[in-house]
Amino acid sequence: MSALEVFAALLLLLGGFFFLSGTVGLLRFPDTLSRLHAVTKADNLGLGLILLGVAVHGANLVLAAKLLLIWMLALLAASFSAHLVARSHLRDEASRDG
Amino acid sequence: MGELVGWVFDGLLALSLVLLAARVVASARLFESIVLFIVFGLLMAIAWARLAAPHLALAEAAIGAGITGALLLSTFREIVTDQPPSAEAPKVLVYRLRVLMALLAGGVFAVLGWALLSIEVPAGPAAGEQARALVARTGVDDAVTAVLLDFRAYDTLLEMGVLLLAVLGARAAVAAQPPASGDDLWIGGEGDTPMVGALVGLLSPLIIIVAGYLLWVGAYGPGGAFQAGAVLAALGVLLRLTGRLVPLPRAGAFQRGVLVMGLAVFSLAGLLTMATGRAFLQYPEGLAYPMILVIEVALTLSIALPLVLLFSGSAGIAAGRSQHSP
Repeated sequence: MSALEVFAALLLLLGGFFFLSGTVGLLRFPDTLSRLHAVTKADNLGLGLILLGVAVHGANLVLAAKLLLIWMLALLAASFSAHLVARSHLRDEASRDG
Repeated sequence: MGELVGWVFDGLLALSLVLLAARVVASARLFESIVLFIVFGLLMAIAWARLAAPHLALAEAAIGAGITGALLLSTFREIVTDQPPSAEAPKVLVYRLRVLMALLAGGVFAVLGWALLSIEVPAGPAAGEQARALVARTGVDDAVTAVLLDFRAYDTLLEMGVLLLAVLGARAAVAAQPPASGDDLWIGGEGDTPMVGALVGLLSPLIIIVAGYLLWVGAYGPGGAFQAGAVLAALGVLLRLTGRLVPLPRAGAFQRGVLVMGLAVFSLAGLLTMATGRAFLQYPEGLAYPMILVIEVALTLSIALPLVLLFSGSAGIAAGRSQHSP
C-alpha cells in the first residue's frame, strides 16, 4: 500500500465514522430538531470525507471534479430538505400551542 | 481479500433487499411502507450496479425510487387528507380476498419459475455473440439501446402505449373530482421561502443538462430515453411542488401532442420502414442511427410529461406565478 492509499483509506474510515455518528444521533436524540441537527451535520461531513477519499484514491482531476459536484448537490439537497423539515416542524408546534 | 469484501457486501445487499421487501408488504403503516419502498428502490439500484448493469441502475434510481416514490407520497397525502385511517380490523371478506390473491400470485410465480427453469440453456454463447455482432449495424454502440430501440423496438413501442394508457386511466379515474386548486401539493404553503427560489434556480438548468446528456450518451453508454425522461419528470415534480407549475383541468393541444408524440413518431417510423418494403421498424442500413435518435428525443418528452401529469394529478399543467415573500 502506498502512502496515498493509506491516506485515502483513512479518509474513507473517518467518513464512515461520521455517517455512523449521524445515524446514532438520528436514532437516539429525543426531538425532531436535534435529530435533524445530527443527520445534516454528520452525514454531509461524512459524505465529503468519503468523496475526498475516493478522489485521493482515484488521483484523477476529472473524477475529483465530478465528486465535488456530487457533494455540492448533496449539500444543496440536504440543507433545503432540512430547512423544509424544520419549518414544517415549527409550524406544527405553533398550531399545537395556539 | 477484495473478493471476500465483495461477497460480504453483496450478501448484505441481497439480505437487506429481501428483508426490506418483506417489511414493505407486511408493515401495518402505509407511510412506513412507502418510505421503505423508496429505500428498496435505492438499494435495488446499487444491486444493479453491482451486477454491472448501469442502465438498469440508472432507471431504477430515477423511475423506481425517485418518480414512483414521489407518486406514492402524493397518493398517500391524498388518501390521508380524504379519509383518516380507520382503526377497525379489516372484515373477514378482505382476509379471504387476500388469501385468494396470495394463492393466485403464488400460482403465477410458480408457473413463471417453472417456465424459467425449463428454458433450455444454449450450449454456447452463439446467440449472444450473434446479437453483439449485429449491434454495430444499428448505428449505436450501446448494446442495451440497440436492443431497446432496434432488436426489440416493438416492445418499447408497446411500453409507450402502456404509459399513455396509464395517464388516460388516471384521468378517467379522477375525472369526477373537482380540479385541484394548485396549492394542494405546494410545499411552500402560504408563503414562499427564499430557499425555494435558490434551489429551483440552481437545480433546473442542471437537471436539463443531465437529461440532455443521458439522452445523448444513450447511443454509446448507459443512458437513453427512459432515464432522460425520468430525470426531466423529476424537474416537473420539483416545479409542481414549488408552485412554478400549476395544474390545469384540461390539457391544451400542445400537451396532448407531447403525450402521444412518442407513440406517434415511433409508429410512423415503423410505417415508413414498411412503406419502403421492409419489416415493421426494420431501419434501412445507414439510417438506423438518425431514426433512433429522432425516436429517442420524442420518447424522452413523451415519457417525462405523463409522469409529471400523473404526479400532478391533473389533465394538464401550466407555468404558475412564482410567489416570493419579502
